[in-house]
Amino acid sequence: MERDLLKEKLTEIFRRVFNDDRLEVNDRLTANDVSNWDSLSHMILIGEVEKSLGITFKLKELNKMKNVGDMMDIILTKL
Amino acid sequence: MAPEINIRRASLDDVSFLVDTIMEAEKSGTGILTYTTIFGLSEDDARKYIKDMLLEEVDGCELSVSSFLLAEIDGQAAAAVGAWIEGYEGIPSAVLKGNLLNYTLPKSCIEKAVSLNNLVKDLHIEYIDKTIQIGLVYVSEKFRGLGLANLLIEEQLKQLLQMEPGITESYVQVFGNNKAAIKSYEKSHFIRQLERISTNAAILNYFPFNSKVLMRRIL
Repeated sequence: MERDLLKEKLTEIFRRVFNDDRLEVNDRLTANDVSNWDSLSHMILIGEVEKSLGITFKLKELNKMKNVGDMMDIILTKL
Repeated sequence: MAPEINIRRASLDDVSFLVDTIMEAEKSGTGILTYTTIFGLSEDDARKYIKDMLLEEVDGCELSVSSFLLAEIDGQAAAAVGAWIEGYEGIPSAVLKGNLLNYTLPKSCIEKAVSLNNLVKDLHIEYIDKTIQIGLVYVSEKFRGLGLANLLIEEQLKQLLQMEPGITESYVQVFGNNKAAIKSYEKSHFIRQLERISTNAAILNYFPFNSKVLMRRIL
């Protein structure tokens, strides 16, 4: 999958989870940039990404993700 | 004679007491445990999964063994306080905890939580980056009244400030019903900053109380 297409898919998921139709997803986006990004919504976000893309993250991979760019890098190795 | 109190960093050998700490602190003096109400788990299952998450040894959040200091009296675990520097390694504690929840809990728990995501947000208070967060605090019933919680908080602040001397603020969040805890934090020089109140009656089915208080101490 191309990075741009992945970004589109992630944007869809992020907007749904954070209930914000205007949320712009980019490589530098972090949890600190989105209001209400708490542990529960993060758990749901990761679950939705895994389900939508048919992948599973290892805990070590999850804990390396400092921003959406890191997340995309890891996802692209799995698709 | 005053009891001999030994304070030390928690280790994997303390996991059982830390599970008690997390479960009792989360209940805030009520019978409501969010791990059971939000994720649809039994208390036994919640205990098992909390233990599993602690054993993953992820640092920097409220489910980190390394976040806890323990007070022992005559060799017996009497109290524990969790605390961490928010975002110390560049990742917010909520993300680290969310990763643990996602990785450890059955997928059915995530599905149940989805429907409650908006309700839960009513009580959400953001952690501020590069501040000391006092997390879960618990004192065993028979050791209450000895000032153990405040002793542990002071030691946490001292040790975390040694790690990151530039930090100027510490925060603690507490359910509004927990008057004893609020009084105790005031004794530790924390001052009430704000209270988040949910007007949704359903919140009491999932949380110990319908409000959360944020308290701050300038260091």
